[in-house]
Amino acid sequence: MQLTVLVVTLLFMGIIAAYFIAAVQASDAPQSEINFDARRSRLIWSLLAFGAVVTVASLWSWPHAVRTTSDVVTVNATGYQWYWEIDKESVPVGKPVVFNVHTADVTHGIGIVDPNGRLLVQTQAMPGYVNRVEHVFETAGLHKVICLEFCGIGHHDMVSEFNVVSKQVVRR
Amino acid sequence: MNAAIEKPESSAAKLTMLLAGVVILLMMALGLIMRATQGNLIQLDPALFYQIMTAHGAGMVGAAALTGAAILWYFVGRYVELIEGIYWAFLGLFLLGVVLILGGIFIGGYGGGWTFLFPLPAISGGAWTSSAAASFILGYISIGVGFLLYYLEVGRKLISKYGGISGALAWPLAFGSGKPEDAPPPTIVAAMATTIFNTIGIVVGAAVLISSLVNLLMPEFAVNALLAKNMTYFFGHVFINASIYMAVIAVYEIIPEYTGKPWKTSRAFALSWSAILLLVMIVYPHHLLQDTVMPAWALVMGQIISYLSGIPLLAVTAFSLCVYLRGSNIRWDLASALLVLGVAGWSVGSAPAIIDGMISVNKLMHNTLWVPGHFHIYLILGEVAMAFGFMAWLVKDARATGLAGMDRVAFWLYLLGGAGFTLMFLISGALSIPRRWAVHVPEWFLQDRIAAAFGALVVLAALFFVSNYARGLGKSRSS
Repeated sequence: MQLTVLVVTLLFMGIIAAYFIAAVQASDAPQSEINFDARRSRLIWSLLAFGAVVTVASLWSWPHAVRTTSDVVTVNATGYQWYWEIDKESVPVGKPVVFNVHTADVTHGIGIVDPNGRLLVQTQAMPGYVNRVEHVFETAGLHKVICLEFCGIGHHDMVSEFNVVSKQVVRR
Repeated sequence: MNAAIEKPESSAAKLTMLLAGVVILLMMALGLIMRATQGNLIQLDPALFYQIMTAHGAGMVGAAALTGAAILWYFVGRYVELIEGIYWAFLGLFLLGVVLILGGIFIGGYGGGWTFLFPLPAISGGAWTSSAAASFILGYISIGVGFLLYYLEVGRKLISKYGGISGALAWPLAFGSGKPEDAPPPTIVAAMATTIFNTIGIVVGAAVLISSLVNLLMPEFAVNALLAKNMTYFFGHVFINASIYMAVIAVYEIIPEYTGKPWKTSRAFALSWSAILLLVMIVYPHHLLQDTVMPAWALVMGQIISYLSGIPLLAVTAFSLCVYLRGSNIRWDLASALLVLGVAGWSVGSAPAIIDGMISVNKLMHNTLWVPGHFHIYLILGEVAMAFGFMAWLVKDARATGLAGMDRVAFWLYLLGGAGFTLMFLISGALSIPRRWAVHVPEWFLQDRIAAAFGALVVLAALFFVSNYARGLGKSRSS
C-alpha cells in the first residue's frame, strides 16, 4: 500500500512539475490564442469530478470501522512516558483485533509494525479518551509497537513487541 | 525606486529579511544536524536532539511567518499608508518572543516540540521545568500579540480604503456585477483574506497557549486534551499557511516587473481567495485523522476539504502563473527564478499533502517522515524560495542582471538539494520510518545520510542567497 501511495504521489507531483516546466519553456514563445478561461473551467470541473469519485471510493467503507462481533480479539494498550503496557502477548492471524488505546500521561501514538518493518495501522493515545482501531493480521511473527506522537525525550525508546500467531497455536 | 526617497516600510522590510534570512540559515543548519544525527554521522544526546527539533520547528515557522509579514507589509504599503511604529512594535515583540523561546529551550531545556501539544509542556518526565515551558509559551504569546497589532493596522487600513471587508476581498466582482477594473489589486485581496484568517488563528492559538500556561502554574486546572489539540492544530495550520499566502504577494507584485504584464484581480482570482479564506479555517481536522474519538463528520470534512484546498492553489494560483508565463518574455534572474520556483514547489507539495489527507492513507503515513516530506516541499521549495526571491529582488539594483554565474549555480543547487532532501523524506515515510525520533535503527541510516547530503546542498545555496543579500544591502547603502 505504502509503495502504491508513493508511486501515485510521485506521478501527480511529476505532472504538476511538468506543467510548470512547459510554461517556463514557453515563456519566450509567441502569445497563445488558446482560451485559457475555458481550460481553467474544465480543469476545475475535472478536479471536482475526480475528487468526488476518490472521496466516495475511499470512504465507502469507513476506514475507522471497528467490529463488535464475537470473534473480535480485544487488546488494551496504554502509553506511559516511555513504554507501552499491553495486556496480551499474542494475537491470532486472520481475526479482527481491536486495540483500545489509552494513555496514562501525555499524548502518544500507537503504531503496529510488521516483522518487515512496515507500518500496518496506527491511532493516537489521547489523555481522557480511548481511541479504538481494528486490524486483521495477515502474517504471523513478532510485531513491534512503536510511538508515533512526540511525547518527550524517551519517545524513540517506546518500542514493545507482541506475537501474531496462527490460529492453531492460539487454540493450543 | 530611488533609495533616497525610499518608503519607510522598505527599510523595515530589508532589516526583517536580513534577520529572517539568518534565522532560516541557522534553522536549516539545525535541520542538517538532525538528519546527520539520525544517520549516525554525528552523535547527539536525545535531550539535545529534541531541543534542537523544537528550536528548528518554532524557528522555521517563525521565520516563515516573519518573511511573509515583511512581504505583505512592504507591498500593502504601496496602496495604503501604514503606521511604521506598529511594524517596529511587531518586530520588537517578535524578537522578545524569540529570546523567550530560545531561553526556554537552550537554558531551561524545553524540548516539547513546536506544537506544545497539551499536556506535554507540563509533563516532561523530568526533562525540563515548568518555568522553561512557561518561557517558551510566553515567547509564542509575545509573537502572537505582535501579529495581532500588525493585522489590526493592516486590516483597519484596508477596510477603510476599500469599502469594508467585502470590498477589500473583491466580493462585488466575485459574487456580484462588479467589474475587474474596479476591484482592488491582488495584493489587497490576499492581504485582507490573510488578515482575517490569521487573526482568528492567532486568537485561538492564544487561548490554548494561555490555558497551557495556567495549567503549568496550577496543574489542577485541567484542559480537555482533545479540545486543546483541535485548537492547537487549528492555530498551527492557519498560521503556517498564512505565511505562504502572505509570501505569494511577492509573486503578484514582482513578477509583473519582469514581464511588463500586470497581474490583475479577475473573477476567478477573487473567488479563489474567498474560497481560501473559508477552506484554510475548516481543513485542520486532517491533522486529527488518527483520533478515532473525533466525530466522523469532522474527519470526513478534513479529508474532503484537504482535497478542495488544492483547487484554488492548482487551478487558480498555479494555472494562472503558468498561463501568465507563456509568451511573457519574462526576464530571468535570481529573484524571478526563485519566485516562480516558490509557486511551483508549493503546488507540487500539495500532492503528498492531499494524499496524506485521506483517512485510509493517513493510517499508514501519519507521523512517519512522509509528513515532514510534504511540508518541507512547501517550505524549502515554496515559502522560503519566495522569501529568498524577494530578498534577491530587494537588492537587485546592486546585483548583476540575468540568471548567470554563481546565481545560476546557487539556484540549481538549491532546487536539486531541496528536491533530493524532500524526496528522501517521502521515500522514508513510505518505508514506515517514524518522524521525530532522535535515534534511528541502522536500516534507516542510508536514507538519512542521503538526505543529509542533499540537505548540505540546500544549506550551501541558502548561505549564498543570504550572504549575497547582506552584501547587496551593504552596497546599496554605500551607493
